[in-house]
This record gives sequence, structure tokens and C-alpha cells, in this order.
Amino acid sequence: MFKSSAIHRLCLMAPKPQRSRHFGETALLGTATKKPRTLTTDATASAADSDSNPMKDAFSKYAAYLNDLNEKRERVVKASRDVTMNSKKVIFQVHRISKNNKEEVLEKAEKDLAAVVDQYISRLVKELQGTDFWKLRRAYSPGVQEYVEAATLCNFCKTGALLNLDQINASLRPLSDPSVEPLQINVLDYLLGLADLTGELMRLAIGRISDGELEFAQKICSFVREIHRELMLIAPKMDDASDMKTKMDVMLQSVMKIENACFSVHVRGSEYIPFLGSEDTNFSLLGVPEIE
Amino acid sequence: MKSAFRSAISTTLAFSFRSLNPTRHRPPLTLLSKHSPLTSMAGGESGTHVPSLATFQSLEKQFEEFRHQLEDSGSLRERIRSVALEIESATRLMHSSLLLIHQSRPVPEVLETAKRQIGLMRELFSRLAEITRECPGQYYRYHGDWKSETQTVVSLLAFMHWLETGSLLLHTEAEEKLGLNPDEFGLDIEDYLIGICFMSNDLPRYVVNQVTAGDYDCPRKVLKFLTDLHAAFRMLNLRNDFLRKKFDGMKYDLRRVEEVYYDVKIRGLAANGEKTGEQNDQAQS
Repeated sequence: MFKSSAIHRLCLMAPKPQRSRHFGETALLGTATKKPRTLTTDATASAADSDSNPMKDAFSKYAAYLNDLNEKRERVVKASRDVTMNSKKVIFQVHRISKNNKEEVLEKAEKDLAAVVDQYISRLVKELQGTDFWKLRRAYSPGVQEYVEAATLCNFCKTGALLNLDQINASLRPLSDPSVEPLQINVLDYLLGLADLTGELMRLAIGRISDGELEFAQKICSFVREIHRELMLIAPKMDDASDMKTKMDVMLQSVMKIENACFSVHVRGSEYIPFLGSEDTNFSLLGVPEIE
Repeated sequence: MKSAFRSAISTTLAFSFRSLNPTRHRPPLTLLSKHSPLTSMAGGESGTHVPSLATFQSLEKQFEEFRHQLEDSGSLRERIRSVALEIESATRLMHSSLLLIHQSRPVPEVLETAKRQIGLMRELFSRLAEITRECPGQYYRYHGDWKSETQTVVSLLAFMHWLETGSLLLHTEAEEKLGLNPDEFGLDIEDYLIGICFMSNDLPRYVVNQVTAGDYDCPRKVLKFLTDLHAAFRMLNLRNDFLRKKFDGMKYDLRRVEEVYYDVKIRGLAANGEKTGEQNDQAQS
């Protein structure tokens, strides 16, 4: 009892302890290093203690695991960035399309797309084996989405159809050795890329309209409309439903922009003056044959 | 395949149209180059409707398949979430039994009650393993749905292990306790490490209450353990993520334990501290 009251008195009177000076063993803890060293040489490494050795052994394994994981993640991010950059270049290339240069533009775009696959996507193949495919998804997803955007854009300009996920994945299979799992784009990244495609198609449609290519624009319009309609049912079921929701809103805006542009051209019909330098000899009939 | 068929149809139509109406003046095909009409059909005005229908049918088919796939994965996720919620409630029971330690109930008794939840825990995790067996390779797709529950479980198990043995529950030991098979459904190492950080968060409180209850040797033991743990963590190269934040928090736990240890030591309360005799005189004066 006596002791406890003494303690109480002391508790009230004891000054705030100065930490670092009194504990030689914990001297290093005062300095909060930003990046912990991999090998610790502090005085606290009491090798004599039976406890810390298994702890240290275990932690050196954990350190190795984390190092490998982070390095791999870095490589994947870099590859993904390269894929993104070069896919964007393909998209810009496709936007330069017009009546006159369609062949060359699409040919170059396809070549560049193939280069993206061979040079950059190939780097992802070996990194994304096994569970890493889903573990590192946030690292490579933007790149893959951009690639899907570019590939589907090219394909639409070439064939008027949507490049299927199966078709894309078939084109990626040659990248992998038969002995390893082939890199296959998952449905989520495909759909997210598809959502971005509609934005590019909107740009393309507006561009083509100002070039006088109304029919192409209308094709784009009905295509994008249908994609939006189909995706309405799928978007909420996706893993990344909230991302997709924003994309769906943007998509609707794109559809409406195209529809409004087509509407303007339709209504103004004969007033519409195509881009100067066009080879169309019959300006006044432009737009009329296309109206059903 | 379908696109080739489509372009064949449209090209045929385009040619047939031209042959039927050779004199009609038509504006040039908007996109087809005059030199290679065979290469594509986008912009072929006569093919406007037929290819579109086929296109749309193929679109619908693909999206319907996606819908089914996503419905399946969605329902899988719901099942996983429901097991995760059960894990969370079992964890709460375990935690609540374990909290008796702060009321200085004897350790073996507390551990006894807390351990009763472990059997249920093992069962729940094996149910998770069973569910994920239906989607091989996708552990990390759904990992977020059990991540935080797992981290809490690890922290409790590690605390219990320390109370029992005074040593750190290792990753492999934690896996074993939960009946996990690393080849199938293992314990993610980052989840384990975060769980350990959570455990360290509880140590200062434990030490404070132990000292209040009269156990003056506790701070020394905890300090040594936490110092070693912190030193081990410093071997890791962490990037600026959640684990890093939790690790940074550990040094505050350590500091608090140091303070308690100091308070006890200078007053000579520790039973086998050095120079206890001298300090006891000081304390009693």
C-alpha cells in the first residue's frame, strides 16, 4: 500500500522522460529513416538472442519477396506506360484518316499496332504469369485499355465491325511460348478499353463530318449507339463498376454529340458546304443520297 | 471470318449496284479508295444496312457472353463477401475474449476462450478456399474482399501467440494456424505483415494496463520484443503504401513502450532490474 501511494506521488511529480539518451539500445530509433535499409547493422541486432534470429531469418525472406514483387511491378508499369504511349500514337495516326489516304493510314496504323504488341505487350507476358495476372492488374490495366482502344479503332475503320475479345486474344497468343500461359486480356480491361473507344469514335465522327464523309459518321453513330446500349446491362456487373459508371456517362455524351452532329447535317442538308478541296463535284447533292 | 463474309457481300452488292445503274451519277464512295475497292467496306453506301445487322448480331452475342461471365463472377464475389462477413464476426468474438487481458485475467484463461474461435476461423477460411477453387488463378481478383478481415485475424493470432510464447508468430505459422494451403489459398505476405503491425498497435495499451495491475516485468519483455520486431521490419524495402504507413506507426508504439519501461525502471519497480536496491530507497523516500 505504501509503495502504491509513493508511486502515485511520483507519477504526479516525475518529469517527462527524455527518450533517446537513456536507452543506448534504442538510439537508432530516434532517427526515422525514410527508406529502411535492407541489412540492419544496428546495435539492437542482438545475435545472441534466440528470439531475433528466427525473426530476422523470416523477415529477410519477406524482404526478398517484397523486393521481387516491387521490382516486377515497376517493370510492368514501365511496359504498360510504353503500351499506352504507343497505342495513343496509333490512335492519332488513325485520326488522320480521310477519303484519300485511308489505305496508307490504316496500313501504317496496323503496322504500329503490331509493333506495340511485339515490343511492349510482349514484355508483359512473362511478368504476368500465374496469380500475378490479377495481383498486378492495377499496374498494367491502363496500358491494356489503351491498346484495346487502338486496336478496336483500327479494326472499325477497316471493317466497320467490333474487334472481339477473342480475336484480340488470338492475336496475342503468338507472343507466348507454348510452355507458358498465354497473355490474355480479361473481359474487364476489354470493356474499359471499349468505353474509351467510343470517345475516339466520337472525335472521328465529328472530324469526318467536317470532311464531308457523312455516311461514315452515321455508321459510327449507329455503332456507338449500339455499344452504349449493350454496355448498359453489363457496366454495373463489372468488378470496377464505379469506374465504368463514369465511363458510361461520358459514353452517352459522346453518342449524343455524334447524334447531334448528324442531326445538324441532316437538317441543313443543302446548306452544308463540305471541306474545301474535296473532290466531290456535286455539292448540292451531298447529304441527300444518304438520307433514307 | 464474319468480317470477310460481310465484306464479300458488300463488295458484291456494290458491284451489282454499279452494273445495274451505270449512268446514275453517284458521289464517290466516301472512304473506299478508287483503286482498291476490295480491301474494305466501311463507307460502302450500298452495304450500309446488311453489314450493320451482322455486326450488331455479333456484338450482341459477345456482350451476352460477357453478361453471363460477369454474372457468375458477381455471384462468386457475393458468396466470398458473405464468408468474409462471417470471418469478421468470428474475429470480433475472438477480439472481445482477448480484451479481457487488459482486465488482468490470467493469460491461460483468456487464451483458452479466444482459441475457441480458431476452429470456426479455419472452417471459414476453408470455405473461402473452396469458393476460389471455382475460379483458379483469381485469388487476387477477389483478394480485396477478404483482405482487411484477414489482417485483423492475423493481428489477433499473433497477439495470442506472443502472450503464450513471447515470440513472433511467423507467416508460415499463421498459415498453418488458419489451415491454409499456400499452393491453393495462402496467406498473402503483405496481409500478414500488416496484421503484425496491427498487433504492435495493441502492445502499448497492454503494457500500461499490466503495469497498473502490478506486473513490472512486462515492459521489459514487450520492449525487447517490439525492438526486435521493429528492427526486423526495417529490413524491408517498403514503398509508400498502406503497409509503409502501418510500419511508420510502429515506432510510436515502440516509443510509448519505452516510456512505460522508463517510468517503471527509474522508480525501481522492476523486480529484476539493475541497481534495484538503490532505486528502491530513492522511490520510498
